[in-house]
This record gives sequence, structure tokens and C-alpha cells, in this order.
Amino acid sequence: MHDEFVQKWTSQVKKGTLSFILLQLLQGKEQYGYELMTAMQQKTNIQLAEGTLYPLMNRLKKEGLVDAKWVEQESGIPRKYYHLTPAGEATLKAMKEYWNQLNAAIDNLS
Amino acid sequence: MKKLDFTHSRAQRLYDDYLKRISRMARQLPEADQQELLMEFNSHIYEGIQAHPEAGELETLVDVLDHLGAPEEVLKPLVADKKLAQATRTFHPVHIAKALALNLSNGLIYFVFSLLYLFLFAGVFMIGAKLFNPEEVGMYTSNGSFVLLGKVSSETLAQTGYEEILGPAFIPVILGAMVLFYIIITLLLKLKQRLKRR
Repeated sequence: MHDEFVQKWTSQVKKGTLSFILLQLLQGKEQYGYELMTAMQQKTNIQLAEGTLYPLMNRLKKEGLVDAKWVEQESGIPRKYYHLTPAGEATLKAMKEYWNQLNAAIDNLS
Repeated sequence: MKKLDFTHSRAQRLYDDYLKRISRMARQLPEADQQELLMEFNSHIYEGIQAHPEAGELETLVDVLDHLGAPEEVLKPLVADKKLAQATRTFHPVHIAKALALNLSNGLIYFVFSLLYLFLFAGVFMIGAKLFNPEEVGMYTSNGSFVLLGKVSSETLAQTGYEEILGPAFIPVILGAMVLFYIIITLLLKLKQRLKRR
């Protein structure tokens, strides 16, 4: 088996689905960065340099798919909570539909 | 921004150093973006430490920073992207030069844009040449059609009868053309950015 090929492919798939996963995690629940990262690692087992989350969230925000607000905490260290915008909800729905189609198509192949 | 306090001096140094590295990476960005990034990483570090109260302070911090990754690595795409947005918004040449330098590794197209901007210096050279050698530099025509823009020796001029048509307007015209090209190239860069986002 070509381990290296599979590894490369896996990392491409992860990279490509990262925003999809993040949008899913935000569905129905606003979350702050650390929370979002922990949830992703627990639920999907994807490990990445956690710092890359912020450039990625920034891009999603620029695309208008998510929005964020700072919420003051008792500790004095505020949290930045992200939530889906209506455009984000619609995009996520479209992404899910495509994902299901692709899944079904691939299942049919084997 | 409220900074974190550590009891362990090594932990404090490590933390301060990490924030400094973020600041250094973010220095090219607008002030508000710099603050935002620092606050977000600061919050991540704080939450990370709070999530592991059982372990030692230094150990946890090392772990949290390790998971975050090197600021130089993780922030590079963001800084490159934001700088480009700022450059095409302000049309500021210094921002444009920095943005192109940061994006050179993101595709051949940025190299092409750099060349286009460098091409503008041809105008500077022509103006310089005109100042030093007003008789032999200009825009030349022959029988009403364009021949060349640049330097022609007086002998050639005498032989061919080329006519210089801009006269004293040469420098203003070249300057105007440079400004026009600068605006066009920058608008193209802006368009490229917009297409990339789609």
C-alpha cells in the first residue's frame, strides 16, 4: 500500500473539509475559539496547529459566513464568541447536501 | 489588553516572548487587527491553562503554546492576505510592495504583478533621461505615425527626420501615464483578490 499517498490525500481531505466542520460545530451554538478547537479535536480527531484556527475563522468572517463578538469575563480575559450568520446557515445547508450526494455516489461505486 | 500573570518566572518569559512574536508578525497589519489577534491568542492561552488546572503552570503553558504552533507559521497566510487587502484599499505603494513580498510564495501571479509595478520605473528613467538630455529624448513620430518613446541620437534624428511631438509636455505626460498604469495595475490586483475569494 502507498502509505505516503494515503497520508497526503488524508491531509488534503482534512484541509478541504475544515471549514465545513467548523461551520457544522457552530450550528445552533455560538462558541469561542478554544471551545471550538477542543470540540473539533474530540469529535473528529483532527489535529492541527491550533493557531491556524484564527486565520481560518477570520476568512469565514470575511466571507460573511460567521460573525463574532467579544464577551467580557469575570477573569478580565474576554472571549470571542463565533456564530453562524444567515448566509452561513444557507452555505452550510448547501455544503451538507453536496456532501451527502458525494457520499451516496461513492457508496454506489463500491 | 489584560495580560496573564504567572508565578513562575520562566513561564512569564515564555508567555511574554510568545506574545512578542505575534506582535512582530502582525506589525504590518492595521492597529485594530493587531489588537484583535493578540486578544484572541491571549484568550486561547488563558482558556488552555484553565482547562488543565491539575498540571503545573509552566508545563501547561509549554503544552498550550506547542499546540498553538509558531506564530511565524500559523499567521503567515492571514498577514499576507490582510496586507494585500489593505494595499489594494489604500493604493499606498509601501503597502503594495510589502503585500507583494509577503505573497510571492503564494503563486506566480504575484511575481507577474511585481514585474508590472517594476515596469513603472521605466517612466522614472525616461524622465531622468529627459532632464539630462532634453534634445534626444521624447516621443517620436514619422509621417504622423508613432515610431518610438525614448532616446534617439541627434544623428539618427537628422537622418530620419523623426519628429518629437510632446515637447515640454513630455514629463507631465509620462508622469500621468505612470499614475494611470499604477491605478490600472492596482485595480487588477484588487480584482484578482476578489476572484480568489469566490
